[in-house]
Amino acid sequence: MSTKQAIKVENLNKSFGKGDAFVDVIKDANFTINKGELVALIAPSGAGKTTLLMMLGCVNEPNSGTMWLGDEKVFENKWLTKETRKIRREKIGFIFQAHYLIPFLNIIDNLTLLPQANKVADKESKAKAKELLKYFDIADKENAMPSQLSGGQNQRVAIARALMNNPEIILADEPTAALDMNRSVDVVKMLKKIALEQDVAIVMVTHDDRMLEYCDRIMKIENRSVVFV
Amino acid sequence: MIYLAKEDIKHTLGKFIVTAMGVGMLLGIVLIMIGVYRGMIADARVILDDLDVDLWVVQEDTLGPFAEASRIHEDLKFTLKGYQAIDKSEAITFQNIQIPFHEKQLSVMAIGYDVYGSIVPINTKRLIAGRTLQNDHYEIVVSDKTDYKLGDTIPLGRDIYTVVGITHGTVASGGDPLVYVSLKDAQTLQFTYTNKRIQTDRARGIPSGGDAHLVNAIIATVYPSYRVDATAKTLRKWLHKGIYTREQQTDVLTKYVVEKASKQIGLFTVILIVVATIIISLIIYTMTLEKMKEISIMKLIGLPNSTIVKMIVEETLLLGVLAFIFGNVFSHLIYTKFPKNVVLQAPDALTLFIIVVIASIVASFVGVKKVISADPTAAIGG
Repeated sequence: MSTKQAIKVENLNKSFGKGDAFVDVIKDANFTINKGELVALIAPSGAGKTTLLMMLGCVNEPNSGTMWLGDEKVFENKWLTKETRKIRREKIGFIFQAHYLIPFLNIIDNLTLLPQANKVADKESKAKAKELLKYFDIADKENAMPSQLSGGQNQRVAIARALMNNPEIILADEPTAALDMNRSVDVVKMLKKIALEQDVAIVMVTHDDRMLEYCDRIMKIENRSVVFV
Repeated sequence: MIYLAKEDIKHTLGKFIVTAMGVGMLLGIVLIMIGVYRGMIADARVILDDLDVDLWVVQEDTLGPFAEASRIHEDLKFTLKGYQAIDKSEAITFQNIQIPFHEKQLSVMAIGYDVYGSIVPINTKRLIAGRTLQNDHYEIVVSDKTDYKLGDTIPLGRDIYTVVGITHGTVASGGDPLVYVSLKDAQTLQFTYTNKRIQTDRARGIPSGGDAHLVNAIIATVYPSYRVDATAKTLRKWLHKGIYTREQQTDVLTKYVVEKASKQIGLFTVILIVVATIIISLIIYTMTLEKMKEISIMKLIGLPNSTIVKMIVEETLLLGVLAFIFGNVFSHLIYTKFPKNVVLQAPDALTLFIIVVIASIVASFVGVKKVISADPTAAIGG
């Protein structure tokens, strides 16, 4: 049965190194994020925001604990599947500081690349891409190259790419870092709208306190613990 | 369907083509090197094929005029004719001489033969102007590589020779053009010394002139009803001379004369192929390095390694194939400019193509290794 739960972690721990070089980064993290929520992740530099994001994205392996993505338990002291990349491909969308579109692919190809890897029919993925481009008001740019678009337009394409695989979760690593205030607000409002309309949980790392008012909840890493404020 | 390799190449087409042209020139040189070897073999066979004789009689315990000095008496041809199995036999000389060439000297191989004899070494199919020799003296047939025209005169020794015929494609195993003179003229050129030398010889008690009736080989044909190898065996027993069949003389040319050169060319070719593989590897490695950010992004968003590896391997193969095509075009454009005969053959090109494909696959490993080891988190700032 489908639930509202998008991410659930229990007693999640992550440390690096051994002996004198041992660093405890995340300790006994327990939280649940539901679909439709836009959650801000804040912490000082080096506190472990990216580490936590990479664990939620099945890129970095936690040391211990349990993690669910949607209804599927993906980690219990070890990955429960060898193909963590498949989980990313099917369940997770990523948005980065810069747009990081593939420079040698045009906009429509940038969007349909992931569905192609998921064996989605060309026609279907193209229709979805066009629909998203329309949604983001850049329908006329489908054949343009990333170098021909403005920073804001490229960031909207990057958000559209994150939605192409109908993800349950979007992990956004400072998506407004490269944008001015007005555009940053536009992007965060857009993420909020996507979270609600597409029923996706979005975890957004941000350093900009002005963006927090648009988020549903604020998650903070404090002394290696994950807390909501 | 998105073909990443195609789109990536399209994005940097100019750079890709220039790179392929560079590697192509290297492969073109590989083809030329193979062509030089083939040319040497073809050149070595010109004299043998044009003479089209069954037996070579040379000085005992020598391999014959193509490999080492051989001198035998001219009148041996009459002895040879006395054998039942022998149809025709003639004396022949080979000597390297220098002829004037555009105010310089050109090294040529002069073949001397009996103008009135039964075996003519000039292949009439190769005669592109004039005629073969008809007089015993002062006529010469030259290769078109010497740039002489019909009626031109060439000073040789103490005499002036007139060009009466021009041949095409006539070269010795070393690549020197061939010229043809009468046997008498050839012997004069070989045995007539300068006045000062004759004077010195006389002072030393050496009779002047010496035996001018020496030749380098006697060539003979065998009646069709006799077996060539059996005839050679009989002659070997009675004549105390070196007797070689045409096949044996071909072996002498290809194994003893051309072998060292072919080994050298073979080694150069192998080195060039290794260098080409290393260059392709480095190019692919650099091309992969330039895409590391994109590769990390692709891995992070979930694209399987196979999709990215396929892109690298396809790009490498395309680079190899394109370079091979450029190499072929390049070699065909320049091979006639080489002073020595260069023979480009399709089977050699096909072999090189297979080697290039294998080398490209090997070269792609460095890029593939880089892809597999790429850290997806490198895409994210920290």
